[in-house]
Amino acid sequence: MFTLPQKESKAPTTCPGPASTQDLDSNHGDGLERECSRKPDWKLPEFCGGGDPTATASSGSSHLSSRGSIIKWFWDSAEEGYRTYHMDEYDEDKNPSGIINMGTSENKLCFDLLSRRPRTMPRVWGRWRGPCPSLCPNFSLREEVARFLSFYCKSPAPLKPENVVVLNGCASLFSALATVLCEVGEAFLIPAPYYGAITQHVYLYGGVRLVCVYLDSEVTGLDTRPFQLTVEKLEMALQRANFEGVKVKGLILINPQNPLGDIYSPGELRDYLEFAKRHKLHVMVDEVYMLSVFEKSAGYHSVLSLEGRVEPASCDFGMSGLRFGTLYTENRDVATAVASLCRYHGLSGLVQYQMAQLLRDRDWINHVYLPENHARLKAAYTYVSGELRALGIPFLSRGAGFFIWVDLRKYLPEATFKEEMLLWRRFLDNKVLLSCGKAFQCKEPGWFRLVFSDKAHRLCLGMQRVRQVLEAKSQVPDDPASCQSQESGNQRR
Amino acid sequence: MSHRLGMFRMPSAQMRGQGLRNQRIHTHLMEMMLHLKQTIEKNLMHLTTRHLQQDLVLEEQRHSQAASEQEALLGRLMYQLVNLLQSGAMGGLGLQPSCPSLDVRRDVRGGQWAQSSRQPDWPVHQLSDPEATFVSQHLSSRGIDISALYHSSFQDYKIYQRDKYHEDKNTMGFINLGLSENKLCLDLMTERLSQSDMNYIEDALLQYPDWRGQPFLREEVARFLTYYCKVPDQLDPENVVVLNGCSSVFSTLAMVLCDPGEAFLIPAPFYGGFAFSACLYSKVELILVHLDSEVTDANPNPFQLTVDKLEQALLEARLTGKKVRGLILINPQNPLGDVYSRDSLQEYLEFAKRYHLHVIIDEIYMLSVFDEFITFHSILSMESLPDPNRTHVIWGTSKDFGISGFRFGVLYTHNREVASAVSSFGYLHGISGIAQHKLCRLLQDREWIDKVYLPTYRSRLQIAHGYMTKKLEALGIPFLNRGSGLYIWMNLKMYLEPCTFEEELLLHRRFLDNKLILSRGRTYMCKEPGWFRITFADKPLLLKQAMHRFYQVLSEQKQDLIVKQLENAQRE
Repeated sequence: MFTLPQKESKAPTTCPGPASTQDLDSNHGDGLERECSRKPDWKLPEFCGGGDPTATASSGSSHLSSRGSIIKWFWDSAEEGYRTYHMDEYDEDKNPSGIINMGTSENKLCFDLLSRRPRTMPRVWGRWRGPCPSLCPNFSLREEVARFLSFYCKSPAPLKPENVVVLNGCASLFSALATVLCEVGEAFLIPAPYYGAITQHVYLYGGVRLVCVYLDSEVTGLDTRPFQLTVEKLEMALQRANFEGVKVKGLILINPQNPLGDIYSPGELRDYLEFAKRHKLHVMVDEVYMLSVFEKSAGYHSVLSLEGRVEPASCDFGMSGLRFGTLYTENRDVATAVASLCRYHGLSGLVQYQMAQLLRDRDWINHVYLPENHARLKAAYTYVSGELRALGIPFLSRGAGFFIWVDLRKYLPEATFKEEMLLWRRFLDNKVLLSCGKAFQCKEPGWFRLVFSDKAHRLCLGMQRVRQVLEAKSQVPDDPASCQSQESGNQRR
Repeated sequence: MSHRLGMFRMPSAQMRGQGLRNQRIHTHLMEMMLHLKQTIEKNLMHLTTRHLQQDLVLEEQRHSQAASEQEALLGRLMYQLVNLLQSGAMGGLGLQPSCPSLDVRRDVRGGQWAQSSRQPDWPVHQLSDPEATFVSQHLSSRGIDISALYHSSFQDYKIYQRDKYHEDKNTMGFINLGLSENKLCLDLMTERLSQSDMNYIEDALLQYPDWRGQPFLREEVARFLTYYCKVPDQLDPENVVVLNGCSSVFSTLAMVLCDPGEAFLIPAPFYGGFAFSACLYSKVELILVHLDSEVTDANPNPFQLTVDKLEQALLEARLTGKKVRGLILINPQNPLGDVYSRDSLQEYLEFAKRYHLHVIIDEIYMLSVFDEFITFHSILSMESLPDPNRTHVIWGTSKDFGISGFRFGVLYTHNREVASAVSSFGYLHGISGIAQHKLCRLLQDREWIDKVYLPTYRSRLQIAHGYMTKKLEALGIPFLNRGSGLYIWMNLKMYLEPCTFEEELLLHRRFLDNKLILSRGRTYMCKEPGWFRITFADKPLLLKQAMHRFYQVLSEQKQDLIVKQLENAQRE
C-alpha cells in the first residue's frame, strides 16, 4: 500500500520528503518557494509545510487518484519556475535580454565536440533495432560499459558486464533501486545539501523517502572543511530516524558531490562504507560527475577503485538529453531486480549503439574530449571564481563538477528561506536563473549553486547580472528593518 | 462473467477448485522436497570438497561462491515452500518455482499471473519478512516479486534470445511467432532511417529535454494523429505526452488514475502486457469482462464485446466493494484483431460516461488494418467525445512502423490534469533527444508514409496473412479473420484432450520443444482453453519454416490423442 502523505504536519512518518528531520524554519511554504524549483534540480516536496499537495488532492480534482494528485504536484511545482525561464530564454541574437540559465547543471561547453562525435549510424542496424532492447539491454553495450568503468574508475579487477544494468538515465536507476530495495514508506539516508530531484525519483513509483544528514558550513571539532560529512553525523541521523520509527534501508552518496563540488577521499569513502556495512545499509554512490573533475590535484577516487561490495550508480558525459544511465552492482539479486524494470525504462536501440561506439572510442575520449573538456571547465571556473573573489563572496569548490556553491548569506537581511527566495526572485527579475539552497535541502538559508559550464559570453553576461543584483542589494536596502538585520548578517562573516 | 485478476481474492472460485488445488499443491510439495533434498546433498558435497582444497586460495574463492549460490537456491526453495503452503492455506494460486525442472507444471491455473497475486496488499505479505530473509537479504519483498514476475513472464523470451533462428547461421534456432512484432518492412525502415536528414544533432538534443517530450516532436505527433485519425479539429500539442513506450504510458496512467487496489475493467482475451504493467508498479487490479467464442442470440459474433457484458462485470465488481476507475479498450483488438465500429465505440464510451469511468484506449495497431473493406475509427475522429476529460488515447510506432526498439509511446488526452500528472514521470520514462529527432522526421515524412511505406506494408501484411490463413484452413483449424493486426487468433481446441489449460500448456511446451514459440490463450486471460495467437508479420521464408514446425507438432499431438483415446477405450 502507498502511504499517502497526511495533512497533519505532526505525522512525519507519512511524509515522503525528509520531513522527519526537518526543522520548523524550513516550512515557509509560500507560492514563491515553489518557483524556486525548476527542472533538473528539483525542490523537495514540502508535504508538511504550506505547499501541501494533499490540499490540492482533496480540493476537487475529480479525475485523478489521490496519489495522482501528488504526482501532478511535482510537475506543477517544477513547471512554474521552468516556464519563466523557457518563455524568455537568452539568445545571443534573438533575445539578448532573455534569462541566462546558471541554474541547470548541464555541461554546455563541449557540445561542439560531442555533436561531431556520435554522428555515426549503425552499419548493422537491424541487430540494434532489436525486438525490444529494453527487455534485455544489449550485451555488447554492457560489456563496453564494464570496460569503460574498469578503465576510468581504476578498478583493481576488470568489472563484469553481467553486473551492469543500463537504463534511460540515472533518475530511472534511483527509482528502480528504491523500488527493489525498499518497501513503501522506508527510507534512504542522504547527506544534505544534495541534488534535490532524487526526492522525486525515489518517491514517484517507489514511495520511498529520504532522511537528510544535515551538514554545516561552520568548521568545528572534527570537521576539517565546511559541510564535511562524518560518520558521527551519519550515525546520528540514522539513530534519529530509527527513533522516529523510519526504517532506513540505504545510504545515497554523490561523489563528486552536487551541489558542494566536494570529493570524498578513499579513507572517507571507506569510513562511510564501513558505517553502512555495520548497519546493513545499501550504499548507492552517484558518480555522475566522475569525469568532470578538472583539477588533477583534487584526487578523485571512484568507489569502484576500492575493494568491496557496493552498489554504485554511475553515469557520465555532458549529454543529459541522451538519457543514459548505468548501474554497476556486484549483488546479482539487485541487478536482476533492477533489470526486471527495464521494460519501462529502456532506451532506444539506436542510442545504445551510439553509446557503445562512444564509450569504445577511448582514443577520442582521452586525447580529445577529456583534455578539452577539463581545460574549458577550468577556464570557466577560474573566471567565475575570480569574479566571486572580487565581490568578496565566500564559496566552495574543489575542482569538480559544473558548479560552485556560493555563500550569499550576507546579502540576506534576515537568515530565512523567505529572504533567500526573495533574493532568488531578484536574480530572476534581473534575468539570471540560479538555484537556491532550499532546492538542495540545505538547512542554512543563503547558499546558492551557480553553474559555470557555459560559453564565455553567456557566462560573462550572467556574472554581470549577478553582480548587479548583489551590488544593488548591498547599496539600496528594501526597508529599514531589513537593513538592520543585514548589518548583523554582515558581521557574521 | 467477471473475474478479477491481480491481487484478487476469489471467494467463490476458491471454494470450487479447492479439491483439485490441494492435490496439485501436494505434488508440488513433493517435487520441491525432492529438489531440496538434492540441493542439500549437493551443497554438502561442495562443502566437503572445499575442505580438501583449503590450501588453494583461488579454488577456495570459487567454492565459497558456489556455496553461496547453493545457499541462495536453498533459500529460494524454502521461500517457495513457505509461499506454497500459504497459498494452499488461503486457496491462492500456484507459484513459480524458479527451477526449470519444475517448470512444466507451473501455471496450471492462474498461470503467469499467479505471480501478480503476491503483490503487496495481499495477505501473504503479512508474512513476507521471514520469506524475504530466506531469499535475499538485499531485496525488498516487492523487489523479489518484481524479479519473480519478470522472470516468469519473459521466460520464453529469454530462451529465444539465446537461440534465435537465423536462416543461414542457426536454422535450428527458435522461431518466435509469439511476439507481436512487425518485421515485414525492415528494409524500408532501415533505408528511410539511414537517410541523411535522420543524422542530426544540435545542442538542445543533448540537453535536459522538456520532460513531456520535445516540443517539435509533440507538435508533429499532434499533426500526425490529426491526419491519420481523421480528427475534425486540429489536435493540440499541449495534450500530447511522449514517453519511452506504450507500456510506460499505461503504467503512468494507472498510477495517476487509480490508487492501489482500485481497478480497471478490461475485455478478455487481451494483451497480457496490461496485466503485467498493472501489477508491476501501480498495483491496480484488472477486472475481466470475459467474452465468449460461442455465437448465441446475446452474442452475435465470436468474442463480441457488448455493453450488457460491461455493465454486468462492473456491477458484479461493485457488489464486492471494488472501486472501478476505468475501462481499457484495445482497438484494433489484440489478440482478436477486432476493429470496433463507430457505433460500438460510441456505446462503450457512453457506458463509461454513465458510470464516470475513464476510458484508456490503445490504438497501437491503428495503421495495421490491411483489409480494405474494414475501416478503422479512432475515437479521436468522433465529432464529440461523450466524456473528453476521461478519455485517454495511447499510440506508438512499435507496431505500425515496426520499430519497437525505439521505445516510443504517446498519450493524447484532453485532460490537462492527467497530462501534467503523467508528465511528472518524464524523468523516469524519457526518450533520447536523438531518437526524438528521428521520430519527428519519420512522422513528418507524410509523402513517404502514404506513397511508399503504408501501401507496401499493407500489401505485405495481406500476403503474409493470406499465406497463413490458407495453411490454417488446410489443417481445418478455426480462426478469426478480422483483417487487422499482425497476428491470428486461432482455436486448437480439437488438439486438446481433455480441453483444459493444463493441456493447453502442454501443447505450448510441445511447440517450444520443436523450437516454435506461439502465445497461448491463457496469457491473454481467455477463459476458454485451446486458443493460441500466431504472428504472421514476418518474412515468407521464416513463415514457411514455422508452419512446417507447426504442422509437425500438430501431427504428433494428433497421434498422441489417438493413442490416448485408444487407451481410454481399452480401459472401459
